[in-house]
Amino acid sequence: MKKRLILNDFKANKLVTISTCIFMAASAMLLGLSILLFGSLSSSIDSLMEEAQTPDFLQMHTGKIDEERIAFFSENRSDVEAMQISRFLNLQNSQLTIGGNSLINNMQDNGLCTQNHSFDFLIDAENNKIKPNPGEVYVPVCYKTEYGLETGDVMQIGTEKLSVAGFLRDSQMNSMMASSKRFLVNEADYERLWPLGSEEYLIEFKLKEGSDINAFATAYEDADLPGNGPTITYSLIKMMNALSDGMMILVILLASAVVLFISILCIRYMILTQLEKDKREIGMLKAVGISRKDIRSLYFSKYLLLSAIGGVVGVTAAAIVAGPLGTQIRELYGDAGNMSLIYALMILGSLAVEGIILLSVYRTLGKMEKMSAVQVLYGHGDFGKKKNLYLPIGIITAAAVFMILVPWNIESTISAPEFVTYMGIGESQIRIDIRQTENVEVSANAVAKEIEQDDQVLDYALMHTGSYKTVLPDGTSYNLMIEKGDHSRFPVRYIEGRYPDNVGEIALSILNSKEMNVNAGDTILVYKDLGDNLAAPVSCKVSGIYSDITNGGKTAKARFDTFDDKAPVMWSIIYLSLKDENHADTWVKDYQAKYSSLNDGIKVAKIADYITGTYGQTIRNIQKAAVMSVISACLILFVVMLLLLRLVIWRERNDSSLKKALGFTSADIKEAYLKKTSKYLLPGIAVGIFAGIVPGQGLAGVLLSSMGAYGFHFIINPIAVFVIAPAVIIVAAALATWVSLKEVGRIYAYECLRAS
Amino acid sequence: MSEILKVRNLSKGNILKKISFEMQEGEMIAIMGPSGSGKSTLLYNVSGMDQADEGEVLLGSTEIVSLSEDEKARLRLSKMGFVFQQMNVLANLNLIDNIVLPAVHANKKQKRELYQRAQALMDDFHIGDLAERRVNEVSGGELQRACICRSMMMKPEIIFADEPTGALNQAAATDVIEAFLKINREGTSVLMVTHDSKVAGMCERILYILDGEIKGELKLGKYTQDDAKEREKRTSRWLNEMGW
Ligand SMILES: Nc1ncnc2c1ncn2[C@@H]1O[C@H](COP(=O)(O)OP(=O)(O)O)[C@@H](O)[C@H]1O
Ligand SMILES: [Mg+2]
Repeated sequence: MKKRLILNDFKANKLVTISTCIFMAASAMLLGLSILLFGSLSSSIDSLMEEAQTPDFLQMHTGKIDEERIAFFSENRSDVEAMQISRFLNLQNSQLTIGGNSLINNMQDNGLCTQNHSFDFLIDAENNKIKPNPGEVYVPVCYKTEYGLETGDVMQIGTEKLSVAGFLRDSQMNSMMASSKRFLVNEADYERLWPLGSEEYLIEFKLKEGSDINAFATAYEDADLPGNGPTITYSLIKMMNALSDGMMILVILLASAVVLFISILCIRYMILTQLEKDKREIGMLKAVGISRKDIRSLYFSKYLLLSAIGGVVGVTAAAIVAGPLGTQIRELYGDAGNMSLIYALMILGSLAVEGIILLSVYRTLGKMEKMSAVQVLYGHGDFGKKKNLYLPIGIITAAAVFMILVPWNIESTISAPEFVTYMGIGESQIRIDIRQTENVEVSANAVAKEIEQDDQVLDYALMHTGSYKTVLPDGTSYNLMIEKGDHSRFPVRYIEGRYPDNVGEIALSILNSKEMNVNAGDTILVYKDLGDNLAAPVSCKVSGIYSDITNGGKTAKARFDTFDDKAPVMWSIIYLSLKDENHADTWVKDYQAKYSSLNDGIKVAKIADYITGTYGQTIRNIQKAAVMSVISACLILFVVMLLLLRLVIWRERNDSSLKKALGFTSADIKEAYLKKTSKYLLPGIAVGIFAGIVPGQGLAGVLLSSMGAYGFHFIINPIAVFVIAPAVIIVAAALATWVSLKEVGRIYAYECLRAS
Repeated sequence: MSEILKVRNLSKGNILKKISFEMQEGEMIAIMGPSGSGKSTLLYNVSGMDQADEGEVLLGSTEIVSLSEDEKARLRLSKMGFVFQQMNVLANLNLIDNIVLPAVHANKKQKRELYQRAQALMDDFHIGDLAERRVNEVSGGELQRACICRSMMMKPEIIFADEPTGALNQAAATDVIEAFLKINREGTSVLMVTHDSKVAGMCERILYILDGEIKGELKLGKYTQDDAKEREKRTSRWLNEMGW
């Protein structure tokens, strides 16, 4: 009996039944997909980092190194499990070609290394430790797709040739956000090629489980061990690994939240409309003595069945879609360890989604119970008042616009030139890096002099970075990497205060400010280097706090004359802009050619290329997610509007028929619907745009601050936000309206007269 | 006197079978016949609400059957008025808004004048006080008179009425029929389906329909109060003959 009733109900309300099922499936699918991707990403990263035995603490160092002192330090600490000093032979990108592709425009620090002995292994796709033979090179897997490489391709370093024997996964530097890339060669080749590059050291520590990495880092600094270079910790590596793909997953997660919201709303309105329609029948059932509980359970069992179908369909679809979306994850990080756990979580998540929907269904069905049989028979009561079905159209339009705009805005923000200023890089057209040379300061000054005389250059700023000791309020000493120069010319983004404008001012990166527990306005003591092991304290006022993810995120900025001293320059950067930005490409090429002949570690790059080089991966992923959210937003809006307008038209069929009898044409009636729909659609779009910019920015800010970009503001593309997004939504809405309004043509003038 | 309506060989499925009749300007005709004989269908097809299969309907000089849906709708709006047994109205509008609905639709600029006209019509039919009432707050007779007001808003040439008193009690029916007589006296033609021989007796002519064909016609002439008794008698005698 129950079965037959439900089946008949499905037949009678095909559109509503199918839509309900689609909503339930879509909600389950998107959440399932987020869980599946997120689970496999984090599990893949974990298993890669486990197999490769990623170091817990890593100090990069350029210059001389005293291995015995490091070993002594390490042996005397109870928290060190293992220590190793790994060599990295930095090569000139201009000297490199792989499979016929020059790496001259590559933004990474590319270099050679050999397989490590005790940990930090470079591994292949099957998690095996790679042992290259002489003449072979293993290439970072991220270059495989970027340059379309295959095994057997040739890698050329100057005139030397190596054969690409395979691809390696590097638990530390897999992400494009890590600025170095390691190529693995045989020990003999490393020694042979040694004169072609400049050597750096990675001083790596593996700590015992449960050790405090920060305490270790402080101890390392206090011990005055080699520290000419950034410090990197396990958690930073994990974060960089997770972020480039994690952003895409977060966008999908956001979409799934929006879809769940829309589903609940739509299903609720469908139920209310159906109750409105079934009013008489319900009254009848109550009048003949069927209990409210029974009637409710009759309706509820229908939705239970639908949600079971929807859940299964959604989970299956998620598993199918996860395949192509997860390709990159698998390629970069390998297979996830325990997929059955992830699948279990996914199913649990989908069950939770269906549970939430059913809860809302149950509560909505409760509306029916409040009415007595008599109330129902007389057509009074709460749900007798017709629900405004245009309201959900407006709300869902806003949600759809929001869903489209958030990933768009994130994407446009990350790809905008200004975005680098959130990362601690000055906004300029061109950036020149001078590193790993015998004397950075001399060659940087020489380059600066040359630029000074170049009349294509509009403005430039030279920055030298050196390492300084400082004392924290609690008396501990702390290492600061201070970038000295004129920071007013190409400023970075300051979350608080501003750049150091006066002598004796210093700006700190947010990570330093947090770690040192120092805020803008505070004063700190920094020791400048007078040479001959003499140091003099300089009292520095903190002028501002900025966000930075370069060089491990712990940096500081000051004017040259604040630290007019003998501290060695670790690296230099020149930011510059040209009079005519269109000449940037040729200018960069000319200077690249000029410096490629010298082995002086000078890298010339357009900031735009720097962005694509560093965030290209992330941007591409977000674009993928953005395309998905546009498609799903349009699809959802189309389905929802089709459904709701059909319900409206169905509900007002009698009135429309009467209007036709009185002389209204189909076009007149359609026009009225169109006007009313627009009345909700357009404000919906406006609300959606606002939400996509303001709360969307807050939301994205939370995500991006996890990336190190604090004080985040959307850099929106006004054409995309104010023209394309509304246009896309309007097209989807118009299509749905057009299809639904066809029904108006099938309403006849005499219908309302015949029916009685 | 010229013809306002001329119906020639109008057919619809097997419900209407080559029906032909004429109607003079200012005439008031009753259509009678048993239930299911096709009276309503005839009205829907003559007024262009339904698409006839064959034949022609001339409203003045305009042929209706061959017009498009939209042209027919426009013609209904401007030249015809309708009153139905079920008193179809929009439940979410009040009485006067229902009355002006088609007129305002046809003539958006003169909203104010139209509301004044609606109020005047309501006053004429003694429902002037009910303008702001909701439609479920008035009686059937009042609502039907409001429908008559609605049908008169555009000063139509002809009014089609389908059993306008069918759902009303005797007193209410009398009010309604008086309203029809009044608008007819003022020059509007009325074609009315009715089951009430008393009502039919007040019309100038009665057409009797059976199984989609006109089986007979009774000419009574213009109604006056004096010969009411006599007309009633003639009508029932004739209806008896027709097998009523
Ligand atoms: N919606 C409809 N579809 C098809 N046939 C109908 C419809 N409504 C009524 N009919 C049929 O058309 C015939 C005439 O109906 P109708 O014109 O309403 O008769 P009357 O108004 O004289 O009572 C009847 O036989 C009836 O069964
Ligand atoms: Mg009828």
